[in-house]
Amino acid sequence: MERIFECYADIIPAFETFQECLHVPLPQHLRVNTLKTETASLLRALERRGVFLNKAIDSNDALFAAPEGTSPGKWLEYALGHIHPQALTSCLASIILAPGPGSYVLDMCASPGGKTSHLAQLMGGGGLIVANELHGRRYKALAHTLVRLGVMNAILTSYAAQEFPFKGRFDFVMADVPCSGEGTFRHGQDHSWQGARRGSGRLCATQKRIILRGFDLLREGGQMLYATCTYNPEENESVVNHLLKERDAEMITIESPLPFSPGLPGWNEETYAKDIQKAARFYPHLVDSVGFFMARIGRRG
Amino acid sequence: MEKRFGIPAADFEDTLLFKHQQSWWLLKKSPFIPLPGGLKVSMVGMKAFQKVGAFIKPTTRLIQVFGRRATKSRRKLTEKELQALVREGEFNLPQSEVEDGYVILSLEDQVLGLGLQIHGKLKSQIPRKDLHFYKPD
Repeated sequence: MERIFECYADIIPAFETFQECLHVPLPQHLRVNTLKTETASLLRALERRGVFLNKAIDSNDALFAAPEGTSPGKWLEYALGHIHPQALTSCLASIILAPGPGSYVLDMCASPGGKTSHLAQLMGGGGLIVANELHGRRYKALAHTLVRLGVMNAILTSYAAQEFPFKGRFDFVMADVPCSGEGTFRHGQDHSWQGARRGSGRLCATQKRIILRGFDLLREGGQMLYATCTYNPEENESVVNHLLKERDAEMITIESPLPFSPGLPGWNEETYAKDIQKAARFYPHLVDSVGFFMARIGRRG
Repeated sequence: MEKRFGIPAADFEDTLLFKHQQSWWLLKKSPFIPLPGGLKVSMVGMKAFQKVGAFIKPTTRLIQVFGRRATKSRRKLTEKELQALVREGEFNLPQSEVEDGYVILSLEDQVLGLGLQIHGKLKSQIPRKDLHFYKPD
């Protein structure tokens, strides 16, 4: 069996199961967009066509697993903006950040808009989200997603995330940064894994600049979620460790309906701050979705 | 929206309308608006209306959000009628009690978007690429 990510054999639990999992196609999950429909009404419409969905998380009424072999992105309900195909772990990011209904939120690297629209949904369509995306093609995808899903509490900007201007401070910041995307990898599938970028000094340097800027844009008492879909500690714990060294930031414990491993105490020659263990590593063989790293960070005050 | 579709004006009370060229954009009211000066904004909320000739036409997305609250100028399509719209973009209407003009189209309880009823025909105003997602049983 072809193996990959051997350098993480000591940090990924049940590494053999992890390897096997990479040979299984990624399951398709979807989120019901309650900004435009109600879950019961959507389920009825699908059932009329013989499509039956199963809840992905018992305690959540909006997240579902699509039947195997189906493509929700080709359903009428997709075009109508009633559903959004989204990895389960990606949905967790907005759930963990948990902005309240009247919050002022910045999504620093917002495309393709799954997390932004989920934040809008969790905010009940109220408050205000500044959804930022620098790159033209990705910006178009973001705009398309927000319009399709009927998001009316967002404005779009196009700054480099690490240079987002200091024009007011936010209650919540989502920093789902560009990364090497290792967590999306499955053998034999089209994927966005950019192995060549792994550990690239430039990528890590950009991530460090983004996390600092995101933190500086928080109001006192505000919260940020730093997230990547990669296993590489240099893009995860090292970046958060950099923030903890440079700023008076505090790590906040993550509560999640899906199992996760704690942040690593160190990697290669580097030892991280003890609190980094409050970060969460979601592994695909334990959550049946994309691998993710998340750190919930607070600004004291 | 109230006159044609019976959607109460009160439903839009918590929104702001921005005009840009021939289009209007709808944004939820928020204490954070107006934004601090100097932030360059490229899109605001959802495109809600656009000027077509002398008329102001609601967008498909607006209708999909607010159409459920409409009390008039609604038309429930049958599967057969929707298939005709997907295939031809229009179909001949039997006698209609609704005055010519824009109508809200739905399938069962799903609002699809806007249609234009004119001279005994119903013409789809829903983007073609969206309608192509419809797969009849």
